[in-house]
Amino acid sequence: MILEIAFYFALLSIVSVGGIPSVMPEMQRIVVDVHGWMSAAEFTQLFAVAQAAPGPNVLVTALLGWKIAGFTGALVALAAFCGPAGALAWWAGGLWDRMRDAPWRKTVQRALVPVTVGFICAGGYVLATPAGLDWRSALIAAAGAALMVSTRLNPLWILAGGGLLGAALL
Amino acid sequence: MSEATPEQAPTPPPDAPRPPASLAELFWGFTTIGARAFGGVLPWAHRVMVEERRWLAPADFAEVVALCQFLPGPNIGNASIVLGRRWFGLAGAATAFFGLMALPFIWVFALALLYADWAAHPVVRAVVTGVGIAGGGLFVGTALKLAKPLFSKPCGIGLAAATFGVIAIERVSLFAVLPVAALLAWFAARRNLL
Repeated sequence: MILEIAFYFALLSIVSVGGIPSVMPEMQRIVVDVHGWMSAAEFTQLFAVAQAAPGPNVLVTALLGWKIAGFTGALVALAAFCGPAGALAWWAGGLWDRMRDAPWRKTVQRALVPVTVGFICAGGYVLATPAGLDWRSALIAAAGAALMVSTRLNPLWILAGGGLLGAALL
Repeated sequence: MSEATPEQAPTPPPDAPRPPASLAELFWGFTTIGARAFGGVLPWAHRVMVEERRWLAPADFAEVVALCQFLPGPNIGNASIVLGRRWFGLAGAATAFFGLMALPFIWVFALALLYADWAAHPVVRAVVTGVGIAGGGLFVGTALKLAKPLFSKPCGIGLAAATFGVIAIERVSLFAVLPVAALLAWFAARRNLL
């Protein structure tokens, strides 16, 4: 199981353009649908804990690993998710400093915008529908998204509001 | 607090960004980013590196973030590696990354253990689920902000919507979607449709 975690999270690491939000649907598909290591509700709750704690949201991988295989699972999942991408960042950082004005760089940057937007939206959708699509979760998520776009409110207040709405509606 | 600047002299020396002087300074800087980063790391990374410690000029910061946004992996985690390398090589990359992760790692587990004791309580569970759903909403909000340059480009909106649909609704694996979507986007960008 530890090996499976290492394998999947390392694979996800390489395709996680846009960070954790982009791979959230695939992570949930593997952890919940394919292997049944936890329920969709547990997945969303672990994510919520990781969001509520300060720090990079990549730490949700440690919580997922912990839920699946204890503390070793946590370290393996986090290392597997950060390792390959970190190695790539190391290499790309050097390349970037050398190739400041290469035209292909601009093309890649423009090409990745719509793909990343689609990935991140899908991640949001998956997290916002732990029990399938229903009006209450849609309302909470839509309110959060609207506040995020239209105000400069600290995201923490939006999450707190989501918690209150959750207590009232769910 | 800023004294009247008599001329538009380009950045006087005391204000010029200065990279961290030592690995210890690098470590503590990234620790203060991770430790305080409620609701997203990016705003705190900006605050610490550009405003408080003045390691980077705002434009440098934006460039590094842009690079890290299109690399796979955690954005600010990548930024810690890229900047750590630029300043101190491999030791710097490792120091910055662990500085960023150390305290949040402890805190997320403290919170998870606390939550495990309370998870059976229906109200606690509803609150945490609500937070998770709102977090999903934040993702959508972030995506909409990133999508701003696409609003005038129907091809980009179409591609983003199609990517969303096959992943979120059809539940097709990311590993199948990414190569196809990236290839389509590459050709569209080459033809100036993006």
